[in-house]
Amino acid sequence: MKAVALKVPLLFLVLMAPSALASSTQVANIYPQDPALPIGASLTATCSVSPDLGLHASKLFWTLNGRRLPSSSYSVLSPTAVSVTLARLPASHQRSGDNLVCHNPAGHVLAGSCLYVGMAPERPVNLTCWSRNTKDLTCRWAPGGQGETFIRTKYTLKYKLRWYGRERECEDYSLVQPYTCYIPRDLALFTPYEIWVEATNQLGSSTSDVITLDILDVVTTDPPSGVSVGRVGDLEDQLSVRWETPPALKDFLFQAKYQIRYRLEDSQDWKVMDDVGNQTSCRLAGLRPGTVYFVQVRCNPVGIYGSRKPGIWSEWSHPTAASTPLSERVMSGSCDSKSGDSNSTLRRELKQFFGWVRKHAYGCSGMSIKLYDQWRVWMQKSHKTRNQASSCTRDMRRT
Amino acid sequence: MYPQLEISQLATTLFSFLLVMVVDASRAGTSCRSQPCGSSLPRSWKLTRLLHKESADLLKIYKTSQGDLSELFCKMSMDNVPDPDISGLDPSARIQSMYSNTQIFLPHLQRVTEQQTDLQIISSPLLSKLSQAYSRTSSLGSQISCIYQTFFPNSPLLEPVGVPTPLPLSQNIFQQKVYGCVVLKRLKEFLSNATREIKALKHQICTKGTQPNVPS
Repeated sequence: MKAVALKVPLLFLVLMAPSALASSTQVANIYPQDPALPIGASLTATCSVSPDLGLHASKLFWTLNGRRLPSSSYSVLSPTAVSVTLARLPASHQRSGDNLVCHNPAGHVLAGSCLYVGMAPERPVNLTCWSRNTKDLTCRWAPGGQGETFIRTKYTLKYKLRWYGRERECEDYSLVQPYTCYIPRDLALFTPYEIWVEATNQLGSSTSDVITLDILDVVTTDPPSGVSVGRVGDLEDQLSVRWETPPALKDFLFQAKYQIRYRLEDSQDWKVMDDVGNQTSCRLAGLRPGTVYFVQVRCNPVGIYGSRKPGIWSEWSHPTAASTPLSERVMSGSCDSKSGDSNSTLRRELKQFFGWVRKHAYGCSGMSIKLYDQWRVWMQKSHKTRNQASSCTRDMRRT
Repeated sequence: MYPQLEISQLATTLFSFLLVMVVDASRAGTSCRSQPCGSSLPRSWKLTRLLHKESADLLKIYKTSQGDLSELFCKMSMDNVPDPDISGLDPSARIQSMYSNTQIFLPHLQRVTEQQTDLQIISSPLLSKLSQAYSRTSSLGSQISCIYQTFFPNSPLLEPVGVPTPLPLSQNIFQQKVYGCVVLKRLKEFLSNATREIKALKHQICTKGTQPNVPS
């Protein structure tokens, strides 16, 4: 509150006064200019004014980030020079530096110096890289220590071929994801790279551990395409899932493996089937009848070009939904519900279904299982069902 | 390349692009002489108004990025910063003055952007706003040029002679902060003046029955 109380009359004074005279002809200067200091350090800065101003140094005052500094911290060195001592400096308020300003008695700015108070960077950690379809390389890391240096710190990702080749720097740093860099092209295969990150600021520098990798050992790919989910005849507890090999890897020699995950329509708990192997179809069994399931598939390009290491799982494919059959079917006939029947869950559900069909499907003439599936997907947010165990068996019907 | 680009960032970029396309006179393959009172002047006025509004936001973000007491920076006098005033007695001279001002401001805007790129974090919104201000001001210059050519086809539009306001020599960081604030404040003032000027021109030149080719 005291700082604010000091700041308000100061600003008022300055705003009401004519424009300050600080021009490029330097009526005063501060030493040191733009220093970088570790947190907790002390600083003595000196403001020297031109004798032409006719100002005595004892009349000058200092502010730091808008707060007037106490005169007890000043020392008049000469008629035209006054210093201020700042003890135990805290971390800088902003990346552009703290504003240490020398003022004349009227509050006009005579000169300024920007202080950078922070820490030297610690070693970047958790450096990981991946290649999409062997064409590029993306690397991500985390800043070391608490992750904040309070002053501008530059991170440079560097890489070189292990046994030969010059050191190169990654140039494409993400604006969206911090501590990420992208190497778009000209990457060698079957030859290990050494990769590391250097962190530098005005207070020091540090280097991460060097990781060594072959591009082919860190390959990821696009999710499988053409994922489809369908019923297995009238089997109430099964669904068939089919997909295609990711197109980008069609010409590559590798043994992909896949994972499937599925969930009930209004649940966020996914069941993962990771014993799918390298087949491109699977049958989910042990499912709940008359229930909509959302299914996703992802791919791992294991053994690409003979690599012995597992690749990196792709993103999951877009969710695809299907429902298991109901034991009772609605055939042709009136869409009106019949009175006199007991209020069963099925009856209630059918009423809702008929209402939706009347509204969205223009009547019941186009009744089909597909229409029912569409309704279940539409209703997915209004029901809650329990999870159920399942297993994946190979869909032998695939041709 | 980075499929995870934030939707808001893409949407903002797309919206800004579409907005500029709406108000920007199409230069590719379209003559400047087509319907100046029907389209060029109104579009230029809209663009100037948009720029003026954005310059106020830009100045606000700039001051916030420089730390406390940055309000003082904008009030400091500084040599070699573009003048926001529009000079001239007749329409051709005033349009010429507006055009010259846009050209004079551009290198200073670029210098401020370069300086702030070193001072701010890479994802600072200030940097993208500065870049946007540069491209919009350049676009405004082109539009004003088009208006001049339309109304005064027999008089060449003159580029600023020499270096009316040269870029400052090496500055310490405090001076850079002050310089940037003064440039952006004067840009805002210029755009305010230009908005009024173009509106007045619309009224003066494009009144009913008046021919577009008004002699200078």
